[in-house]
Amino acid sequence: MSVAELKDRHLAATQTVSALRDRLKQKRLLLLDTDVAGYSRSQGRTPVSFGPTDLVCCRTLQGHNGKVYSLDWTPEKNRIVSASQDGRLIVWNALTSQKTHAIKLPCAWVMTCAFSPTGQSVACGGLDSVCSIFNLNSPTDRDGNLPVSKMLSGHKGYVSSCQYVPDEDAHLITSSGDQTCGLWDITTGLRTSVFGGEFQSGHTADVLSVSINGSNSRMFVSGSCDSTARLWDTRVASRAVRTFHGHEGDVNAVKFFPDGNRFGTGSDDGTCRLFDIRTGHQLQVYYQQHGDNEVPPVTSIAFSISGRLLFAGYSNGDCYVWDTLLGQVVLNLGTLQNSHEGRISCLGLSADGSALCTGSWDSNLKIWAFGGHRKVI
Amino acid sequence: MSPEVGNIVVEERLEYAFAMEYHGPPITSELPRAVPINVDRIPVAAVVSQMPLPDKLSLPVVQPILANNLTKKFSKELKFLGSESNVSPTSVIAFESPNGAVIRDESLSKELASGSEITVSPSSVYAFEERRPGNDGCDLSGELSSSLDTHYPCGQYESGELSGMVDRSNGLGSSSISHDHSRELLNGVGSSGPLGFSGSFEKSRELSESSRKMMISRDYKGSLDYNNDLNKPDWASNESVISVDYPSSRVSSLKVADGCNEPGCDVKRAPVVTFCDIESEDEDSNDRFSRAGPEVVRAKKEPAVKVRKGACYRCLKGNRFTEKEVCMVCDAKFCSNCVLRAMGSMPEGRKCLSCIGFQIDESKRVNLGKCSRMLKRLLNDLEIRQIMKAEKLCEVNQLPPEYVCVNGRPLCYEELILLQSCPAPPKKLKPGNYWYDKVSGLWGKEGQKPSQIISPHLNVGGPIKPDASNGNTQVYINGREITKVELRMLQLAGVQCAGNPHFWVNEDGSYQEEGQKNTKGYIWGKAGTKLVCAVLSLPVPSKSSCASGDQVSNIISHTAPDYLEQRALQKFLLIGYSGSGTSTIFKQAKILYKDVPFSEEERENIKLLIQSNVYRYLGILLEGRERFEEENLNDLRVNQPSSEDELIGRTDGGEEQTIYSICRRLKAFSDWLLKVMVSGNLEAVFPASIREYAPLIEEMWSSSAIQAAYKRRSELEMLPSVAGYFLERMVDILRFDYEPTDVDILYAEGVTSSNGVACVDFLFPEPAYEENFNSSDQHESLLRFQLIRVQSRGFGENCKWLEMFEDVRIVIFAVALSEYDQFAVDENRSLVNKMMLSRKFFESIVSHPTFDQMDFLLLLNKYDLFEEKIERISLTKCEWFDDFHPVTSRNRANSSNSSVNHAPSLGQLGFHYIAVKFKRLFSSLTDRKLYVSLVNGLEPNSVDQSLRLAREIVKWDDERPNFSASEYSVYSTEASSFSH
Repeated sequence: MSVAELKDRHLAATQTVSALRDRLKQKRLLLLDTDVAGYSRSQGRTPVSFGPTDLVCCRTLQGHNGKVYSLDWTPEKNRIVSASQDGRLIVWNALTSQKTHAIKLPCAWVMTCAFSPTGQSVACGGLDSVCSIFNLNSPTDRDGNLPVSKMLSGHKGYVSSCQYVPDEDAHLITSSGDQTCGLWDITTGLRTSVFGGEFQSGHTADVLSVSINGSNSRMFVSGSCDSTARLWDTRVASRAVRTFHGHEGDVNAVKFFPDGNRFGTGSDDGTCRLFDIRTGHQLQVYYQQHGDNEVPPVTSIAFSISGRLLFAGYSNGDCYVWDTLLGQVVLNLGTLQNSHEGRISCLGLSADGSALCTGSWDSNLKIWAFGGHRKVI
Repeated sequence: MSPEVGNIVVEERLEYAFAMEYHGPPITSELPRAVPINVDRIPVAAVVSQMPLPDKLSLPVVQPILANNLTKKFSKELKFLGSESNVSPTSVIAFESPNGAVIRDESLSKELASGSEITVSPSSVYAFEERRPGNDGCDLSGELSSSLDTHYPCGQYESGELSGMVDRSNGLGSSSISHDHSRELLNGVGSSGPLGFSGSFEKSRELSESSRKMMISRDYKGSLDYNNDLNKPDWASNESVISVDYPSSRVSSLKVADGCNEPGCDVKRAPVVTFCDIESEDEDSNDRFSRAGPEVVRAKKEPAVKVRKGACYRCLKGNRFTEKEVCMVCDAKFCSNCVLRAMGSMPEGRKCLSCIGFQIDESKRVNLGKCSRMLKRLLNDLEIRQIMKAEKLCEVNQLPPEYVCVNGRPLCYEELILLQSCPAPPKKLKPGNYWYDKVSGLWGKEGQKPSQIISPHLNVGGPIKPDASNGNTQVYINGREITKVELRMLQLAGVQCAGNPHFWVNEDGSYQEEGQKNTKGYIWGKAGTKLVCAVLSLPVPSKSSCASGDQVSNIISHTAPDYLEQRALQKFLLIGYSGSGTSTIFKQAKILYKDVPFSEEERENIKLLIQSNVYRYLGILLEGRERFEEENLNDLRVNQPSSEDELIGRTDGGEEQTIYSICRRLKAFSDWLLKVMVSGNLEAVFPASIREYAPLIEEMWSSSAIQAAYKRRSELEMLPSVAGYFLERMVDILRFDYEPTDVDILYAEGVTSSNGVACVDFLFPEPAYEENFNSSDQHESLLRFQLIRVQSRGFGENCKWLEMFEDVRIVIFAVALSEYDQFAVDENRSLVNKMMLSRKFFESIVSHPTFDQMDFLLLLNKYDLFEEKIERISLTKCEWFDDFHPVTSRNRANSSNSSVNHAPSLGQLGFHYIAVKFKRLFSSLTDRKLYVSLVNGLEPNSVDQSLRLAREIVKWDDERPNFSASEYSVYSTEASSFSH
């Protein structure tokens, strides 16, 4: 078989695939008689309303010198790790807003960080293509720096995102600029599976984000520059379980819905979307028309514990709180008092859902929580 | 002045607009600011109201007010007066509260209390005196006089605004109590002091007591302002007392270095005032200090909230005995409940949120990094450690260099760093004037004997003055007249001091008489001398100070703390499509600027890398050999009869042989190597194989077959061009004890690509021939540079990661000139010219929003290869360059040496052509200018030059704002801040 022949066949196959995809899309559209917002409205639901003290900035975590790129909460609720362009990871006590650790990184270009489920160690990754694990309990060296306890190397591109597999400190899932995701065994430092890549069907561009299903930790979803999100089963590395089309730009953020049956995405096209993993349908688009033609990309998203609220950070410094049911913006943190001055680059909800932490390019992190006095019922 | 009264006033005067023009007598800078209240004189009493009104109110002082705003304005003012009462223990609150009656009672009792306290307090001298006339004129109770006392400050601060109002009220003749009053006062002042004054007193008697107090205090203020030096003897006694007291207390407050931070001021600085006294107060203090000495005092932060002494500044609770943490800047104190809220995450140590970024109070410098018990209770160990570290090390908290004068010259930033980072730094360096003997390292306060011997030869401060230590012995050491104590020490140490000699003392204690060559002895040589020094409390050299005089020069490079690293780091981003030679340039920079370009460990890794590379090259070569052999054999078989001569002979059981054939042993090795390479685990087997196969390799390399294959290496596409360099030295390289040289490393592939990003910090070494004729050059040499090399491979096309490099100063984009005829497979799996790929990548980088307005330097790399190649292969092979029609001189062919008639060579023409192509492309994308430089990564000089060019570009960029003041970049301010 000659190269030209192969090429022709490849072309034909690609056309077939896209034709089938189109048909699938058409069929989906036919079946999709409503979206979440439409249905809720028909059911007479009203959007959540926020009082002036219902969500206020109650702490500002200052200490980074560079843009904050990523943050993560511990499950035990009051600690945060944040990664910044000044080449440091800082572990914060969110209650007192003090730093407990400041970890100087060997490579300053860090893009992501994660807290382990037990809170004993943190992981980070960045342009050095390595995911580094730091054990918070290990003694510091002479200069007061925490030594790297494990280097997970193997990615051929930058590490864009990492998350520990819940309930165990030993496994971690990373996403990388080499178009793959990886499942790592931290104790051995080896990559147990590679999702996607050259010889497998997977993302066709940089993978930017992963999120592990909270109720079934074998499933995770990834978002990529190929404007798709893909659902993976950690036991099946060769191909994605499902591919979710819909976005018109890079998918910057993915996050599982608390019930584990849906997930949200945030994209460069300025929209957030809600997908159902069982049907593969797109349930809802969250998009706010701006006055001018500029569409600020969504940089990061997070769901409230109930899933009713979707927090989305935008590159223009806005942080919308969406009512996921009604598809309406109910609050904009960017307009509140003490809000960030720069792009909001990362968001995270504490494990118990009582506080939201936002990290921004203005080098600060802010903690938002209920600010009034609770009525005793 | 109750709210109702205020309203009435407003109604009456509604038709009037408040013009803010000031018609009163000229106000000098001595308008009442410092107040004759001493710390101890403030009566301490319980706070009447808990309402922290002040910060919510806008200040009435300067804003022009419209007529219909008057109501608001007045009520606000009233509130101000009211809110002051929060601060001062006396009772203005009474009228502020709605249910006045009850509270008034309360306040009355309080007032009485405070009044009584005043009589008790030792500071109430003039309060009594005041009371006397007051009591004479009208029957005021003690409470009034006490309030008189405490209300001075409030009134005084309102001076400017008040007199403005006063003026208008003159014209109006309205019944506003306050205005009426002050008009009277002004009149009084204008005509005759005492009269007016008593008049105002008369009036005040008829007013409600609280407002009366206020007014009286204002009266005093007014009279103080305008009649400071008109203290006529016939003034009312209280008046004179005050005017006398005023300057005196002012003087006393001057004596306290940070008078503004005196607790007493907390009370006197009522909220009404805070915003205006930042400048005015400051000027004033600067004035004062400039008179006092050369010290410069920077803007002082003051606590935003004024509270009574001893209370927490946030919750206003507690007394002086409750444990509190103090803000290092503004002296605000917070109780344990509030400290975390007030200070937040403490990124710069213990500072309240509003003080972050401000310099600490010098008097608190000693406390830096010393944790209080309270914090330890509140926070855990790790947190404490972080805070204290931040407090000690953050840049804002460092000693400001201009506070330290050495030999009469304030230090600049670098000098201070030098001083602090030397092996034997001055202990507990505080702001002040010091002298420093650079030869011996003696260090002391100006006008005093030496206190310490620090590292010598530090280039800090000016030359030492003869009278630096204020000696009068006429004996000189290194040009400084020494003190008596020192002379005594010298005598005891056995140094001949007869005839007032001038000594030269070196850092090791050796001394010689001026003008003589021979060393006369060692001052600290004898054991007894050290004892004598200890007795006379003179310093002796510490071990570190004498040992390390010559290390000083490179000290900055290794002891820079964190905050320094951030400071003057200029980042260059080196980027290029794969194969463009960025790695070589990066390695070259490392070798050029680093003393130790590669650590032992790195070298070991590089060695392994080079060796495995050589194996790989060898494999490719062997593969080629097999191919050539096969081809040859085929040829042989085809034209057997014709090419007999090719055939060397038949041996080994009839096997055919060509010049590419190798013996069986080598063949076995070759097969093994190829098998290993195909299976892809070359790295795994290779270290062990090194020893085993070393002799074999040697044999193989020398075999004619391999040499023959090597001659045809240009036909092996897989073999990189650098392979020849290594293959020729293969025998050496594959030795076990092989040490890679810098050149080897430079040529080696894959040294920096182990991870995606690599960076190197460096300083440009000052070339020897370049004299420091200009002092700014000296500082520039301290600028640190960072070359960041990013590998484009695996980083995706849409460059999500580029926004991380927003802070680089210049992007250095490398393009290999020689790749115009090479092809690579792009993401669509089609063959594309590498130059076009480079161009595409260049376009995407240049048009990336992150690099908007960024300077670009294009490095056209691999010129040596290009020059050689362009003679063979036309540049038009690349479709972008299809209009390259060089005008070559016709006689070029016969005069092969083009340099004779200065005609540019084809290589130069090609380079210029490509440079122009890129420049056009760049300006079509950005409308800016592209800097282009020719470089050859393998030549140290060309890399050095191009990096220096990058530095120059950055420097031009910094200097540009100096010519056009409109655009002022952040960097230029930075640059100027360390050049002073």
